[in-house]
Amino acid sequence: MGLISRRPGRLESGIGIFLLAILLLIGLGVFIKQSDFDMGRFGINTVALVLSAQGSKIGTEEKPSFDLPVPSGFKKLSEAETYVPENLYEKIDGKATLYIESGFVKLFTQRFVSPVRNVISNGVGENDDSLWFELFVYDMAAVRNAFSVYSVQKRADVEALPAMQFGYRTGNALYFVHDKYYVELVGSSESADLLKAMSDLADKLTPAPVFRQENAGVGKVTEIPELTLFPQENLVPGSAKLYLSDVFGFDGLSDTFVCQYRAGDESITAFLSKRPSPQDARTVTESYYNFLVDNGGKDKLASDKNLQTIKCKVLDFYDTTEIIFAIGPYVAGIHEAKNQQSAEKLAAELFDKLNKIARTTKND
Amino acid sequence: MTDQDNKKIERRQFLTRATKAGISIAAAGIVSARLYDRQGSKAAVDAGLLVTLPDFSVPRKNGQTICIVKGSDRKATVSKAIGLLGGIERFVAKGENVAIKPNVAFASSPLLGATTHPELVAEVVRLAYKAGAKQVIVTDNPINDPASCFTLTGIGKAASDAGARVILPKPGLFRHTTLPGGKLIVNWPIFYEPLANADKLIGIAPLKHHHRSGASMTMKNWYGLLGGRRNVFHQDINTIIAELAMMVKPTLVILDGTEVMMTNGPTGGSVSDLRRADTLIASTDCVAADSFGCTLLGLKPSDLPYLAKAQNAGAGTTDYESLKPIFAAAS
Repeated sequence: MGLISRRPGRLESGIGIFLLAILLLIGLGVFIKQSDFDMGRFGINTVALVLSAQGSKIGTEEKPSFDLPVPSGFKKLSEAETYVPENLYEKIDGKATLYIESGFVKLFTQRFVSPVRNVISNGVGENDDSLWFELFVYDMAAVRNAFSVYSVQKRADVEALPAMQFGYRTGNALYFVHDKYYVELVGSSESADLLKAMSDLADKLTPAPVFRQENAGVGKVTEIPELTLFPQENLVPGSAKLYLSDVFGFDGLSDTFVCQYRAGDESITAFLSKRPSPQDARTVTESYYNFLVDNGGKDKLASDKNLQTIKCKVLDFYDTTEIIFAIGPYVAGIHEAKNQQSAEKLAAELFDKLNKIARTTKND
Repeated sequence: MTDQDNKKIERRQFLTRATKAGISIAAAGIVSARLYDRQGSKAAVDAGLLVTLPDFSVPRKNGQTICIVKGSDRKATVSKAIGLLGGIERFVAKGENVAIKPNVAFASSPLLGATTHPELVAEVVRLAYKAGAKQVIVTDNPINDPASCFTLTGIGKAASDAGARVILPKPGLFRHTTLPGGKLIVNWPIFYEPLANADKLIGIAPLKHHHRSGASMTMKNWYGLLGGRRNVFHQDINTIIAELAMMVKPTLVILDGTEVMMTNGPTGGSVSDLRRADTLIASTDCVAADSFGCTLLGLKPSDLPYLAKAQNAGAGTTDYESLKPIFAAAS
């Protein structure tokens, strides 16, 4: 008895043609895909290839989403550049992780130069003493993220920008937060002319559509509630920082505000983190306490009567005092204070303030 | 269907067809096996084309391995340091081609200290020619746009004015290398061609804080020789810096601590990030140079894991004091 018919039937032929067509499509797909593969994944310098083809430019050609005024007496030095998380390192190298881990969305940059003193062209070595500056606008997605990158990079002994809620200037640069944007203007020299031009640009920038907020002036930001929860007495103005992760080297503590206080000749660090729930606050407090103990912290008694009445942890940590407590949804405390008495006093004030908030919230 | 269509095949025909089908399948398998590329697209880089950077080092002289000079004038401090290490003639012979690798990573002003100071580059070029160098090249593969970097840092003009040839990166100048025993530098493109014909290599780096690695000094400066998507190495920054110290055997390294970027590195941005330390370090041992250099940032060598890694790999010593450093003032 035979096993197979000599000639395929129409149905078999149809199935065969159909399968061949599928294979042809797959082959075509592979061909198209492989002709457009990412060379960078295999160690080939695509940026260099692009540069050689284009002549000079890194970053995308995407235009900014807002009108960019040119300061009086200046002109654009180079093309605007835009960076996203995937290529931010091409602009700021090792600092890119700080931004990306803080919610970075996009960076827009633009250089300006004073044509009076400038003869720079896009080549090697034509001028080395020109007056120019670069604008960096970081879209950080949220005001908290913008405040975080602003605060952790804030320089010491700077001059506050009076029109800005969070802003300062140094000898050659301006830094400020506006809504979800962190803005830097970096000058090539310590020049009064440059600082004036950068200030003028900052004033013109903030009312631009993308920065504009209802009922908000230049440099005003959405309120950050935690900043109002710290005691105001002896608070060092402008010292607030927001750490989004790995606070004090502990990966379980995140999204934490830190402020500095004066206590005589010493400085005390207070911290505060709002957690999703009181239960989470207690868990984080316990975890941080265990972290400190595991790393050499030793329990000690609180001398302050107010602190004795609450469930707070006081530890000796290599001759400094650590205090940590949970109240409502907040984890708070004092970090590495040299003077236990001053630390406990500030901790008690912080606790009182948070306790009132917690009660108010509960009553609401 | 016709009767012919319905005719059943015989056993012999079945065996013949089955044999033919088997041979076809086997042939396809053999061809596929021969064409199968176990290394994927990396095979595009023929192992036979891998390059190795030349050894640019000079013989060690006891007591003349590291020199630390105090002073605010970079020209004076670098001249003094090189002089105390045996003079430029120890490092550059007549008729040699010299490559200088400054840090030109960013298109920023020399005021900010994020890049090598142009005065320092110019002075080393001048010294090399003074020793009889045939040609001096100044080169780097910056992070930002190369042309803008060389222009805005002032390095391009300073080097050109001093008589050096400035070489900007382009694809044809990269070759793949593998560091023997390396974990990260495996079949990776490096900025090789400018160094291939050089007899000597001098690295000149600014001393600065680095957000990722803690400090950027002479060893980290070699990062500028890497091509490709080198940012992937930031995930293992200590290993890549140590491997760079193993891969590059320079003639001399110069670490500029005249003004040190104490915070917000590696880009900085404000003059308030800088602290004047008025110190310049020259050494034939980059691990020793960086081990001393980090103290100007308020760090100990043990704070920077890549230093111990490099030492363990034989790239130098973190115990710079054992080298009996020469301390001097420029004036």
